[in-house]
Amino acid sequence: MEAVTGPTPALQEQFTKALETHLTQGGEAALLSAYELGRAVLNERLGVLDVATLLQAALVAACQRRPRESVRIVQAAAGFVLECLCPFEMAHRAVREANTALHGLNELLEEQTRRISHELHDEAGQLLASVYLALDDVARDLPAPAAARLQSVKTLLDDIEVELRRLSHELRPTVLDDLGLMPALDLLAQSVSARTGLWVKIEGPRDDRFPPPIETVLYRIVQEALNNVGKHAQASAVTVVVRREARRVCCSVRDDGVGFDPGTARSTAKGIGLIGIRERLAPLGGALSIDAAPGRGTELRVAIPAV
Amino acid sequence: MQPSAIKYEPYTPSVNGSSPTMTALGGVDEIRVPVESDQDIVAARQKGRALAARLGFSSSDATMVATAISELARNIVLYASRGEICFRLESHGADPILVIRACDEGGGIADVPQALKDGYSTSGRLGVGLPGVRRLMDEFEISSVVGRGTVVVVKKWKQ
Repeated sequence: MEAVTGPTPALQEQFTKALETHLTQGGEAALLSAYELGRAVLNERLGVLDVATLLQAALVAACQRRPRESVRIVQAAAGFVLECLCPFEMAHRAVREANTALHGLNELLEEQTRRISHELHDEAGQLLASVYLALDDVARDLPAPAAARLQSVKTLLDDIEVELRRLSHELRPTVLDDLGLMPALDLLAQSVSARTGLWVKIEGPRDDRFPPPIETVLYRIVQEALNNVGKHAQASAVTVVVRREARRVCCSVRDDGVGFDPGTARSTAKGIGLIGIRERLAPLGGALSIDAAPGRGTELRVAIPAV
Repeated sequence: MQPSAIKYEPYTPSVNGSSPTMTALGGVDEIRVPVESDQDIVAARQKGRALAARLGFSSSDATMVATAISELARNIVLYASRGEICFRLESHGADPILVIRACDEGGGIADVPQALKDGYSTSGRLGVGLPGVRRLMDEFEISSVVGRGTVVVVKKWKQ
């Protein structure tokens, strides 16, 4: 990442001079230089607020030179202001477009996951059932000792069936579609507890449903967060809280583990899960914050706008 | 230093005449502006802005037109040395459409889809250049032949 600094005095000087030229001489060349200035600011990774600051200071300087003409100056600066900001309009549209694409991609991924989960559960389950029937058939024709050995094959098949169900459920729990987020989180907590020995507590409005994209994203985020806790936190207990507020749905995942330094997590493997969480939140306009310190556990909080 | 007088230009010139679409080009079908220097970029922007204003475009739409011209003309000057920007009018029912065509006989673009991706141009960052133009305009078409040149046609509808 390049270091981001604020606008320099030299840049301010350029803005003030260019505005002065626009005000006194007018013309397209002055408007083009306003555009080029805005574009240069964008290239230097400064933000739209920096342009606002630069423009405002240039306007103040122009007005101070001719206090009685302030209103006319502000009126005449309109075109200049639009030109300076247009590069940021382009960048803004690029981000909006990327966001829409990301949203579509997430939905596509979720749809494919749903399909694979369904096939695992139904198709593979059907095949297993027919293997059981075939085994029973064979067992009837065999002497008792051989039939007993077939029993141990059936036990292995039972394990496979359980594993398939677990995989299918982790990919896309049907309960998420059928009963909603809270029952799905309850099941997730049971499965994580069984697998890792973590004590997982789920709190939230049991009889409330959220819009499907929000339920899916929150489920995935809690899943990712619990994975992270299991892998890195050395925690014994996790509490997941889902809460509906006036214009948003909030969710927090808090553990009692070793915590970490959020400043260094960016560059390490721990950061990868957080990036995934941010990418899921972005298309929904959601925000992520992390409260962590070495030795004091970790709390992950997300908020997603909802009506 | 004595401050000079403010030259106040109303941003959107008023429209005279009943049908802006008919009169905007002054009776000709197409206006062509040769582009090979920064001065020509200014001239092309000026022409585009004046047309946008005469068609009754809002000042932000007129700014987007000027920006598109800047980016297209800048590409001509940077990569093809010379070319031209042409203006034409179309209409959709009663709504005027400003058509801008940028063409050059430069080296052409080998990989057009790549050129439409963000961050391709070495002279620009996120969202500027050709992808930026595409997003500011209502329609965008590009064709390029290596060794023959590039034509970009963009259209802006009156909102």
